Amino acid sequence: MTRRVGDDRRRLRVDWPECRARGLCAELLPELLVLDEWGYPRVLGPVDPDRTDLAREAVAACPRRALHLVSG
Amino acid sequence: MQPPELVEVRRGPLLLAGVDDGAELRAHRERVGPLPAVDLARLVDVVGGAAVRGRGGAGFPLARKLATVAGTRGRRPSRRPVVVVNAAEGEPASAKDEALVRVAPHLVLDGAEVTARALGVGEVHVVTSQDRPAVGTAVDVAVAERAGRGLRWTHHRAEGRFVAGQASAVLQLMAGRPGLPVTSWAPAARSGHRGRPTLLSNAESWAHLAAVVLHGPAAYAASGTPDEPGTSLLTLTEPPGPTGRVACARVVEVGHGSRAATVLGPGALVSPLLVGGFHGGWVHPREVPHLTVSAHHLRSLGLSFGAGTWISLPEGSCPVTETARITSYLAAESAGRCGPCRHGLPALADEVRGLAEGADTRRRLRELAGLVTGRGACAHPDGTARLVATLLDRLEDLVEDHLLGLCGGEPCRTAPLAVAR
Repeated sequence: MTRRVGDDRRRLRVDWPECRARGLCAELLPELLVLDEWGYPRVLGPVDPDRTDLAREAVAACPRRALHLVSG
Repeated sequence: MQPPELVEVRRGPLLLAGVDDGAELRAHRERVGPLPAVDLARLVDVVGGAAVRGRGGAGFPLARKLATVAGTRGRRPSRRPVVVVNAAEGEPASAKDEALVRVAPHLVLDGAEVTARALGVGEVHVVTSQDRPAVGTAVDVAVAERAGRGLRWTHHRAEGRFVAGQASAVLQLMAGRPGLPVTSWAPAARSGHRGRPTLLSNAESWAHLAAVVLHGPAAYAASGTPDEPGTSLLTLTEPPGPTGRVACARVVEVGHGSRAATVLGPGALVSPLLVGGFHGGWVHPREVPHLTVSAHHLRSLGLSFGAGTWISLPEGSCPVTETARITSYLAAESAGRCGPCRHGLPALADEVRGLAEGADTRRRLRELAGLVTGRGACAHPDGTARLVATLLDRLEDLVEDHLLGLCGGEPCRTAPLAVAR
C-alpha cells in the first residue's frame, strides 16, 4: 500500500454496488458521513487517529458490509 | 446507440501502416518480420522508454503496470500472471479499436504474445464487444492463424453496452459473472483476474508495445516528440444522427505533437469539439485550432485522450442540445448498481434536457455533477459529470446564447462525411 508522505490517516470508502442507503453509518458517525438527497453516504474527509474506533464501529454496523476503512 | 455505420481508416505511420496490405498473418509478417523473444527486463525497459500509455483517462504508463505484474507474480497458481487484451469498445462514437483489430489484428496479438512469453504465461485473454461482430470475427480468424505456437487464446464477448469495457467489468466477465463494474480494492496489476496479477490493457496499447518491439525504439520514436514518442489513434466524427448511430467514423493515426489543423477539417476547426468521447470535455471553437495531439498538452487543459474520440458539431447544431442527448444516453447506460449513479445520472439528464428547452438549470446541474463525481465503482458518473461541467464552464457563452434564444440551434443534423477508402 502506498501512503501519502505526512498523511497516514485512514479513509472511509464505500463499496457502491453494495450500498443500499440504509443510513446507519451517517447516524453513527455524523462528523465524517452525511447522507445525500437519495440517502447515500458522502464521506467528508480522512479519519483522524482519535476517531478510528468510531469509524470501526460505523464499518461494523453496516448491514450490507459496504463501508470500509482503508489505509492511505 | 450503436457503433458507427461506416468506419473509414486512413493509412498511418506505425499501427495503421498496413491498411492496404491485408490483415492476414502472412502479410503482417512480410511487413514487420518475425516476432522476437524479448526478456522481461528489456521489455519493461523499451516499453518505458517509448512511454507507451494505457488508454484510460489517466493514461497510466504500461511499463509500470508490466513491472508491477512482474514484481507480484509467483509460481503458485494464485500468483501466476494473466494477460488480457481489452478490445471491448463500449463508446458508440468510437471506432479506433474496431479499425485497429480489423486492419491489423496480428499487431495487437503480437504485443500480447511477446509479453505473455516474457512473463512465462501460456494463455492470453481477448475481450471484444458483441455489438461489433466484425471485431470478434477478426480476432477468431487471427487466433486460428496463430495456432500451434504453444499459446492458448481465450476469446470473451462482452455485452454491447457503454460500461462493459471498463476494466473491472471485463474482469467480472472473465470470471463468469455479468460484465458490469464492481469496486476494485487494488489495481488489476496486483490483484486482477481471480486475484492474480493481471496485465489488462486496451487493444491499442498492445499494438504500440508490439510496434516498439518489432520496429525498435528508434523507428518508433521517428513519430512524435522526444517527450512523447510515437502516435495515437483518434476517431474523428460528428454526433450520432437521429437513428442513434454515427453515420461515419474516420480513424486516423496521428504523431504526438501534431496540431489539430492537421487532423480536423475546416468546419471542425470553427465548431465546438468534444475531446475524449462521451466521457470527455468540450473545447471552445476559439481554442480548437490550438489543440495539440499530446497527452501533456491535453492534461494542461484538463482534458485527456479518453476514448480517443473527437466529436465535432456540424454547423447549425447546438452544443446544449447535443449534450442533452448524450447525457440521456449515458444515464440509460448506467448499470444501476451504484446509488449515486442510478439516481444522479437520470436527474442530471433531466436538468440538461431542461437547459436545452430553455430553463436555466445551471446551478442545479453543478450541484448534481458534484454529487455523482467519485461516487461509483467505475468512472461512469465522473465522466458524465465532466461532460456536463465542461459544457457549462468551457462553452459558457454558447450556453448563454442558447438561453437567450440566439444559438439558432435547430435539432442536430448529421451530414455524412465523404467516404474514401
